Amino acid sequence: MSTPLIEMDNIEKHFGPVIALGGVSFDVYAGECHCLLGDNGAGKSTFIKTMSGVHKPTGGVIRVNGQDTVFNNPRDAMNAGIATVYQDLAMIPLMSVTRNFWMGREPRKGFGPFKWIDFKTANRITFEEMERMGINLREADQAVGTLSGGERQSVAIARAVHFGAKVLILDEPTSALGVRQTSNVLATIARVRKAGIGVVFITHNVRHAMAVGDRFTVLNRGQTHGTALRGEIKPEELQDLMAGGQELAELEGSLGGTI
Amino acid sequence: MKLKKTLTAIATATLAFAGLATASTSAQAEGENFVLISHAPDSDSWWNVIKNAIKVAGDQMDVNVEYRNPPTGDLADMARIVQQTAASNPDGIIVTIADFNVLKGPIEDAVAKGIPVITINSGTVEQSHELGALMHVGQPEYDAGFGAGKRMAAKGVKSFLCVNHYITNPASVERCRGFAEAIGTDLGDQMIDTGLDPSEVKNKVSAYLNAHQDVGAILALGPNSAEPTLDALRELGMNGAIPFGTFDLSAKIADGIKKGDIDFAIDQQPYLQGYLPAVILTNYVRYGVLPSGDINSGPGFITKDNIGLVEKYAGEYR
Amino acid sequence: MTDERLKQVSSLRRAMIRPELGAICGAILVFVFFLMIAGDSGMFAPEGIKNWTVVSAQFAIIAVGACLLMIAGEFDLSVGSMIGFSGVVIAILSVHMGWPVWAAIIAAFVVAMAIGALNGFLVIKTGLPSFIVTLAFLYILRGLTIWLSITTTRQTIIGGVKEAAKGDPLAFLFGGVIFKDLFQWFGEMGWVGTFTRGTRAGQPIVEGVPMLVVWAIVLVIFGHFVLTRTRFGNWIFASGGDAKAARYVGVPVDRVKILMFMFTAFCATVFATCQVMEFGSAAADRGLLKEFEAIICVVIGGALLTGGYGSVVGAALGALIFGVVQQGLFFAGAESSLFRVFLGTILILAVIMNTYIRRMITGER
Repeated sequence: MSTPLIEMDNIEKHFGPVIALGGVSFDVYAGECHCLLGDNGAGKSTFIKTMSGVHKPTGGVIRVNGQDTVFNNPRDAMNAGIATVYQDLAMIPLMSVTRNFWMGREPRKGFGPFKWIDFKTANRITFEEMERMGINLREADQAVGTLSGGERQSVAIARAVHFGAKVLILDEPTSALGVRQTSNVLATIARVRKAGIGVVFITHNVRHAMAVGDRFTVLNRGQTHGTALRGEIKPEELQDLMAGGQELAELEGSLGGTI
Repeated sequence: MKLKKTLTAIATATLAFAGLATASTSAQAEGENFVLISHAPDSDSWWNVIKNAIKVAGDQMDVNVEYRNPPTGDLADMARIVQQTAASNPDGIIVTIADFNVLKGPIEDAVAKGIPVITINSGTVEQSHELGALMHVGQPEYDAGFGAGKRMAAKGVKSFLCVNHYITNPASVERCRGFAEAIGTDLGDQMIDTGLDPSEVKNKVSAYLNAHQDVGAILALGPNSAEPTLDALRELGMNGAIPFGTFDLSAKIADGIKKGDIDFAIDQQPYLQGYLPAVILTNYVRYGVLPSGDINSGPGFITKDNIGLVEKYAGEYR
Repeated sequence: MTDERLKQVSSLRRAMIRPELGAICGAILVFVFFLMIAGDSGMFAPEGIKNWTVVSAQFAIIAVGACLLMIAGEFDLSVGSMIGFSGVVIAILSVHMGWPVWAAIIAAFVVAMAIGALNGFLVIKTGLPSFIVTLAFLYILRGLTIWLSITTTRQTIIGGVKEAAKGDPLAFLFGGVIFKDLFQWFGEMGWVGTFTRGTRAGQPIVEGVPMLVVWAIVLVIFGHFVLTRTRFGNWIFASGGDAKAARYVGVPVDRVKILMFMFTAFCATVFATCQVMEFGSAAADRGLLKEFEAIICVVIGGALLTGGYGSVVGAALGALIFGVVQQGLFFAGAESSLFRVFLGTILILAVIMNTYIRRMITGER
């Protein structure tokens, strides 16, 4: 646990006159789940996109295994072992589980320019990986649209893990899910973490974060408000930090602590 | 199972509908089957007269004459229709030679199969003979344009505007070329491509006349171009002031001739192009009789002097 | 380990429920129907079969391109104009400028695919719907075609290609007829009718298999293989299904889409070249409305208009249905103006059924 898998050091991102990120620092170690909490508009998605190579930071340094690195495109980040599972863009529902699973990295066989997808292998591996995630597919070529939201997230996570992700960024994986599906996804996160992968879990739900997180960082208006270890901080405090302190505390009082 | 139910429902609906489509033509005559194939797109209303003519001929001779055309006027599609017609073994085919090169193969195949063919409307007598058709019934395009040009030349016309609404058919250009050569000029850019939409035709003609104040005469190639052109002239106040001739006839053109806004209409008498081949084919198939030589159904010139009877049947039989 | 709730799906049903199901049923239905009402009209005699095969093959050639492009999430409305344009390019270069026909054909393919690439490039770079961009090219190309042919030859129809193409190897590849000897033998055996008089007496009425049909079959097999079996095919699905999601996993969506625009242009040019070689002339009005006919075939074949879903085999069956209905109604003696009523009805029924099938497969709601 000496060097973090990825370290975002004082990252800034400006869109014209708008400062979306004003010096955010964040890191992930192998085998931990680091939760990034923030309200809507806090800059979470800009931060993820910077970490996964979609945006280039305006300022600051990204280090992978201690080395300064520049991501020119998502492919660079993927090659560095950083995989991102987006909330709604995880899967293409019209396509089969196998096709989704291998999209962009299809296994091929054949010779010369005549190469085709090795569907036998692809289907078998998909099936096995899904089983490891605790999902029983009817068949590997059933469409993703027939799966539930939680299962889709799990397919995306399984895909990332299979392709050697060292860091897994999960963008609000639980926000659109029901209770049962949420617990499935959280169980999956726990399983992945145990396998030695660093998980970045983005959410605005404190209870979900507390369930699996080892460390917690709160993002508010493009800045971090410090990082806390598990057990050092109470859910209410996190909630306060997310909302920028004061106002929510008052609001919470009037709502009788239901948020 | 729901899927099966849906399938059955769809199948039944399709069959029922198709049955309706075929039943509607069950009024077939007992006699011979002929097919008339034209090159005109669906939007060309001029062919109505020919459709009426084959109906009259069909009733009189107790034969069935079917009208077919490529919906968009695409001649390659027309060639397919000729092939398909030949494959259905009709007793005779009546076809326009819209383009000799394209239709040569299919028509020759039909002739080689032993199907009697009469060519009509577009094309020349020579082409008709080369294809092995029995005869040609039509109006020589270049000559018709030339004849119209001669009439204009007599008035001292030196330049003109050819309003072409079906420029993709080579016969249309022949008409304009004949006219141009009769008045002793080169066609050059005196022909405009207007398309079939009436308001577009009108606007293009107005624009051309505004840009070329010295245009000596106007030639329209049919009702589709003549009617909007007439509107344009009336709007510009140039009706009657500029010599205006057109091919073919319609109710509105007849009216224009009566009012003196249109000098003449070149009538190729389409009725004859539909009626005569049907009658001739029937007699040929039944009794083996065939008039020798080809038939020029036009040009006839319609002017203020002979408009009376023409007007009564314009768009129907004239 | 299996889930007991998913067990009741029989293997038959699984094999049945596929994107092409609607088109397969439609094709069977259409054949049965016409066998019943037009079975003795010559439609299923060799000449009649050749007839609807050729027409269907024409549709199939452009449908393959339109199908892959539609699955990649884009439209091309300039297909019809492209057919007219490529044909006129070949005719002008070979007849008017005196190029060898093979060079004219290659040039037409290069120009057409460059225009296809431009179409794709504009769609990608501007982010405008391909519907609009290619609609513009529908007009641009048609206008250019008329202008080109009028200014170089003073006509809108350019003949003489057949004479120029005599003995040209590439011309045969598009306009030739193969298996002539076989069909001659068929004729002698009496399986195919022969001409009874004239200069061609003794020759079979169907002289062989036109290259047009060969092209259609080759393109359908190629398209089906690429789409379902290759990595690139997976990218086509992904680009049309969700371009953003595809980009995030590293699929080169822009390249896929531009290539598909080029392939559509390629198919249109194959169509045009076959037509020019068969009829010996090119005309400025060739290919009118063909873009919609291609799209209709594709939609009957089960493809989703918004992309990401479809089948090349389905599109080919759509083309077959289209061709057989068009020809069959004539053989059945139906009023020809009713053809489009029938076609429209089939289209609606096909779309309803395909939507239903697709929902079963993909779990859409």
